[in-house]
Amino acid sequence: MKKITMKGKNVDEAVDAALKVISGDRAQAKVFVLSEGKAGVLGLIGGTEAEVEVTVKEGKPEDAQQLLQDILDKMGLVTMVESRLVDDRVELVVKGDDMGRIIGKDGATLKSLEILLAGMLARLYGERSYVSIDADGYRDKRRQSLERLAQEVANEVIDSKAEKTMPPMSAADRRIIHLYLQGNPSVAIFSQGEGDARRLVIAPK
Amino acid sequence: MKELVEYIVKALVDNPSKVEIKETSGESVIIIEVKAAPEDVGKVIGREGRIANAIRAIAKAVAAKQNKKVSVEILTEDKAQNKTI
Repeated sequence: MKKITMKGKNVDEAVDAALKVISGDRAQAKVFVLSEGKAGVLGLIGGTEAEVEVTVKEGKPEDAQQLLQDILDKMGLVTMVESRLVDDRVELVVKGDDMGRIIGKDGATLKSLEILLAGMLARLYGERSYVSIDADGYRDKRRQSLERLAQEVANEVIDSKAEKTMPPMSAADRRIIHLYLQGNPSVAIFSQGEGDARRLVIAPK
Repeated sequence: MKELVEYIVKALVDNPSKVEIKETSGESVIIIEVKAAPEDVGKVIGREGRIANAIRAIAKAVAAKQNKKVSVEILTEDKAQNKTI
């Protein structure tokens, strides 16, 4: 992702000049008009120049990597970001110090970064984009602890033959447990409630 | 902090030149005010405030490092303000 701000007699000329400077292809460029400019009488006399911000896209994983790296740098964190495209999802991995701060309580900061990155990619690419961010193996650890919890509760439910409602969880966390217990023939698993009140229920079969 | 929020907001809107960020910093509190073009405010807030809350969470993570509290306020245009009473 290369970004440049450029002025010109009109929007078109400003964009052309910008693309020339960063040797970018117009088809890969996202243009934001900062100022339309105004043609003056007799050419430029009395007119104002147009100003544009041109971003040349380099591909979703590359652009996402740079956006996240910029954000983490500005957060004052020393990190390195890697990225790859898996199906249509951009997967980003953060390495460095202070991983706890990047992950946040129950992954809240990671989640927030994902939401922002998805918004930024949607703006650049004009389509919905899926982003997942991992740091210090958090995703795997989280999945393992959720699966452990699910197994414990499932065992209780089987012993007591009484259904149990899980604590509030994000849709992603509910999904992990759902997939994990799906193969268990002794319990049924379903969600009930809407919005913030949605909870997983594990019931004996 | 201002630079961080400015970078994030400008990367979300269609009119980056209309984004204005004001930072007021006290001993233990930082207040960030975000102004954007009326048609962009929705992009900064997001569905059910998802984007705004994500910006707040990032700001909070940074402020916590300095043992400060942070408040990120997204200012809406007059029209919207009248509606919220």
